[in-house]
Amino acid sequence: MRAARLPLLALAVAAGTAAPRLAGAGAGSIRGRVEVTREPPAPAARPSIGELSMPSPRDLPNRRRSVVYLEAAPQGAFEEHEGRAVMDQRHEAFVPYVLAVTVGTTVDFTNSDRTYHNVFSLSKPRRFDLGRYATGQSKSVRFDRPGVVRVFCEIHSHMSAFILVFAHRFFATTDAEGRYRIDNVPPGAYTIVAWNDGEARETRTMRVPEDGGVLEQDFVVR
Amino acid sequence: MKRAALLATALSAIVAAAGAEPPAEPRRFALGVELSAAVGPEDRGFFNYTSYEDSAQRLARLSLTAEWHLAERFALLGEVRDENLGRPRVYALYARVRPWRDRAFDVQAGLVPPVFGAFSRRRYGSDNPLIGYPLAYQYLTSLRSDAVPGTESDLLVTRGSGWLVRYPFGWGSAEPEPGLPLVNALRWDTGFQVHVGSGPLEASAALTQGTLSSPRVHDDNGGKQLSARVAWKPVVGLILGASGARGEYLSRDVVGALPLERRGHYAQKAWGVDVEYSRDRWILRSEAIWSRWQTPMLERSLGALGFTAEGRCKILPGLYAAARLDRLDFTRIDGPAGRVSWDAPVWRTEAGLGYAPVRHVLAKVAYQHNWRDGGRVRERALLTSQLVVWF
Repeated sequence: MRAARLPLLALAVAAGTAAPRLAGAGAGSIRGRVEVTREPPAPAARPSIGELSMPSPRDLPNRRRSVVYLEAAPQGAFEEHEGRAVMDQRHEAFVPYVLAVTVGTTVDFTNSDRTYHNVFSLSKPRRFDLGRYATGQSKSVRFDRPGVVRVFCEIHSHMSAFILVFAHRFFATTDAEGRYRIDNVPPGAYTIVAWNDGEARETRTMRVPEDGGVLEQDFVVR
Repeated sequence: MKRAALLATALSAIVAAAGAEPPAEPRRFALGVELSAAVGPEDRGFFNYTSYEDSAQRLARLSLTAEWHLAERFALLGEVRDENLGRPRVYALYARVRPWRDRAFDVQAGLVPPVFGAFSRRRYGSDNPLIGYPLAYQYLTSLRSDAVPGTESDLLVTRGSGWLVRYPFGWGSAEPEPGLPLVNALRWDTGFQVHVGSGPLEASAALTQGTLSSPRVHDDNGGKQLSARVAWKPVVGLILGASGARGEYLSRDVVGALPLERRGHYAQKAWGVDVEYSRDRWILRSEAIWSRWQTPMLERSLGALGFTAEGRCKILPGLYAAARLDRLDFTRIDGPAGRVSWDAPVWRTEAGLGYAPVRHVLAKVAYQHNWRDGGRVRERALLTSQLVVWF
């Protein structure tokens, strides 16, 4: 149930609560590292009982990749963006495994495999089914509501990914070393959340001073 | 025993070869659970009864599947099923080995998936867009593997009554028992198989104990079935398959009960073609299966042709519509009233909707209509719903 926090909180702040206001001057940055110490479980795939051969080699998704975001964003930070992002299907895995976008972003689901894929989601923020399409083709989905969208392939049960749709721009996805950086954060008190593999796992509170600056905040996800 | 020892030795060598290289991935164990429950009216015409004497339209099934990768190229797979709270049965249990790392060549041994046709390997309730099975894979004809008719009249008396058949010859002649389908999709056969290819062209062959109609764990006649399938994928989304099988289907008890001059080897021979085309929201599938059984007491062998065509179209995310057309026809023999098909031909149409509110839950509702040119009940319509939950 913890995974459901993100859409609820994003909607709550979008309505305008006690969050700090956007300010032109004194904006700060929050950076740090998310260390995932737990061993991510293997992708859940249905046993290939009816197959006549070994399953083809597939890439394992990078489940250590995390998203760090402000739980309550400054008021006035909720403008819609018309951005684009790509989630590829390669070696029977979604790449990236975690994609964080703002509301209004269109995601292109490209297929770089030689086989069919069929991307779909039954998540409440965005239900869609792109049907089967072959290599070299791409289909797009626009995300207009904040929340967590779980993405699957209908043909390959081991394929899954997350798309986190934010109503604001104060979030960052960790790099290969687990580092993140959120820039242009107005002065004020914030709750900052580290999300990993379907759940908001660690929460911290911190204050960006009036004169801005760079604040450090590390997380350990166990 | 000698053959089994040879097979075991060969497998051991293959497994040893497969295990020689360190596994690239961590050893992993995957477990799957599927629970399905179909609720429909009583099938008074026995159109949907299976060889386990259950109706596919009134069936609760718990299925546990497991796949255990002991090494990079060696895995054990199995499935245990319980139907209608009966005795759990081992449905699949086999070893899968890829002897050479860089060659698409696989060997499977044990209670293995059938290589013939396409439907039998669609393992999960969620893979079947409707509730019923194709006629060729489920409908019980009036033939048995443990009892045989003495005359054409014996056979014609049972026309359209394959769910319970009694014949004068054989160990099982005393009690009526279910007949044989063309291909039994509810049981798998025991033996070993090889599979070659992973690209546009793939081929599989299997040597097993039973036959398509009568898969077996224990051999009951000393004969073996050889079956094979070739699949060609000329473009992504299109699969063309051709299958063949030949195996002895009559048990030694039946053959032993026959007059001396009739004792011999009696085979089921079958040929099949299948096609699947999928694109966007559509999947279209069709199969044709021609089966012929040699019979000891009749002058001619008995043939049957099964044809099925089905389509599925997604309407909305999580919602689809599907339909299937089925036909089962039989060769003609001379009876007291003239020339007539040895079993009653059957038509079946089925159409339905499937809705998945979440990924692991699928609810189906389907309307099925059956017509049969013989038997006590000649027509039966069934409105059935089914819930499938898996994880």
